[in-house]
Amino acid sequence: MDDDQLIARAGRGDDAALRELFRRHAPWLAARLRTVLPAADVEDVLQETFLGVWRGAKKYRPDGAGGWLWGIARRQAALHIRRRGPALAELPAAAPVAATGVDPAEIALVRADLAAALTALGPAGSPERDAWQLLYLEDRPVAEVAKLMGVPAGTVKSRAHRARRLLRSALQDGRPAAGGAK
Amino acid sequence: MNAYLPGPDRPGDAAWAADVDLERVWIGVAARVWRRDTGPVERLLGRLLRSPGLARALLATPSLLVPWLIASAAVFAAGAAATVGTGTPWVGLLAPAIAGAGIGYAYGPGVDPAYELSMSMAVSDRMVLLARVLAIFAIDTALGLGASAFSATAAGVAFGWLIPMTAVSGLALAVAVVTRSANVGVAAGTGLWAIAVLGGQAAAGHPAAAVSDRWLYLPYLAVAACCAALVLIRTAQPRRSA
Amino acid sequence: MNVELSDLTRRFGRRTAVDGVCLQAGPGVFGLLGPNGAGKTTLLRTMATVIQPTSGTVRLLGRDPGQHGQRREIRRRLGYLPQALGYYPGFTVAEFVEYFALLKEMPAGAVPAAVATAIERVGLADRARSKLRTLSGGMLRRAGIAQAIVNEPELLLLDEPTAGLDPEQRVEFRALLREVGQRSTVIVSTHLVEDVGAACSQVALMNAGRLVFQGTTAELTSRGEGHGIGDAPLERGYSAVLATARA
Repeated sequence: MDDDQLIARAGRGDDAALRELFRRHAPWLAARLRTVLPAADVEDVLQETFLGVWRGAKKYRPDGAGGWLWGIARRQAALHIRRRGPALAELPAAAPVAATGVDPAEIALVRADLAAALTALGPAGSPERDAWQLLYLEDRPVAEVAKLMGVPAGTVKSRAHRARRLLRSALQDGRPAAGGAK
Repeated sequence: MNAYLPGPDRPGDAAWAADVDLERVWIGVAARVWRRDTGPVERLLGRLLRSPGLARALLATPSLLVPWLIASAAVFAAGAAATVGTGTPWVGLLAPAIAGAGIGYAYGPGVDPAYELSMSMAVSDRMVLLARVLAIFAIDTALGLGASAFSATAAGVAFGWLIPMTAVSGLALAVAVVTRSANVGVAAGTGLWAIAVLGGQAAAGHPAAAVSDRWLYLPYLAVAACCAALVLIRTAQPRRSA
Repeated sequence: MNVELSDLTRRFGRRTAVDGVCLQAGPGVFGLLGPNGAGKTTLLRTMATVIQPTSGTVRLLGRDPGQHGQRREIRRRLGYLPQALGYYPGFTVAEFVEYFALLKEMPAGAVPAAVATAIERVGLADRARSKLRTLSGGMLRRAGIAQAIVNEPELLLLDEPTAGLDPEQRVEFRALLREVGQRSTVIVSTHLVEDVGAACSQVALMNAGRLVFQGTTAELTSRGEGHGIGDAPLERGYSAVLATARA
């Protein structure tokens, strides 16, 4: 049974479907929340998330279960952080929060989104990740990256293209895909 | 039992957050999703009786469930109408039978499939029995008085049936407990009451004799007392006899 | 010591069901074996405070079940699964377990989580909101086990708990027993000798109301060496002890 069917069943009151959804999705949701929150708070937010899933399942339209679930988790995390104070979320001291007027909860969650999306590129050392790191983080020209990686410039460009595609789909879908795509 | 807890599903997934207790989280979710809604009546009763368990046991009484209550009210209403129509005090004649049936079906191995287990509970089954008997008696008394007032019968009959009601209820309960069958208890209680009514009619010429004859009050109360004693002995805890 | 029985005797009319039983049990899993009519159920019912002894003393969880107040305290910490447990057909599994959690006077706020935990531990999570009348015999038995453990009892009494469970469920059930037996006293009365062997640290064997053996499963096995009928070592020990007792 796929996720969309499970959510539909949960919307009709099937608590066994909710349990299966939890079994499948709680681990990665917990891991992603864990990048911004301490363990005890992850537990609270995760509980509220799945209660939110139970309540909201009947209004779900099939368009990406992972993104929908992360959306609920995100909202609950934001609520939680606002209630408990922004110090809860692991923000670096230098974050210019006051200046930009952006909700610190949002910042924390965007960081979590990005961190998770990056895993779609694969572990450190995989071609797409290295290409991305050198080209975009370290801002080196293509020729230099080609020399560093020991591959032709065309290969660097196609790796960069793949990296962008992976990131885009990871950010849209909300859920990290299996890492290290070929 | 923890088959639902998976390890990392996919190699590329974000790192498994090992210090998050997912079991505890699921129990928190399940506790909310699986819980039964307690209505306001049950919560109020729980506070009044200072025991949520006793309140729940009371409201789960087979003869206090809504269909039964509606049926009892309907019988009383019919009795009131019949009294107005025929002049025979049907309410007084029916009340003991209805209470007897209600109390016979309130308690005991005949009606409770988990009777053995209930005898090992902190909220003792005797407490549950007492609460149920009082509740049914009170409800049937209220219904009966209401029906009597509506049909405006003579005062002797309007209240007099309370006494045979205790006797018939006691009898139904005692027989149900001794025979371990609610059906037998209720049949005995209502059957004997029917005989008493017919006997009263034959002896005194009018059917209300069983209810209004004051000489019968003492025997009725004696029967009620003996039955109560029998039930008390049978439900003594822990049990003296199997 | 959670259970202290001294010279416990229980008669029904002229029949003596339990005859001078002495038993002491602390935390751990204890098996109670014996043929039909040996008095196992009567012994269990006495420990469940459902019936009282004709003579002898009983102390449970350091308290006297003959005293009303102490009996109530015992019952709050007790779990009991009778041999024949009826069920309320219209109740769901969760409602059934909750009903007895409330009757054991668990604090109302703690009940939902305790009910959820108990249902998960017996593997009925997928049927938590199913009505009992839709359940198979083995599932009903597991619901019965769930109500027995819902209050995390210090004394857990199980009368033929594995009736209707398939072998895989029995393996999970034995794991549950070992887990509970780490902190509490679990007494399991069973016909199935192999159930005992796998889960119990100590075994007691009853015959005609008397306790004819008490010791470890290894000791019972050793009694069967050389003589004794049975396919498995524990069965041979069981029949050897019974043969001696009946001689």
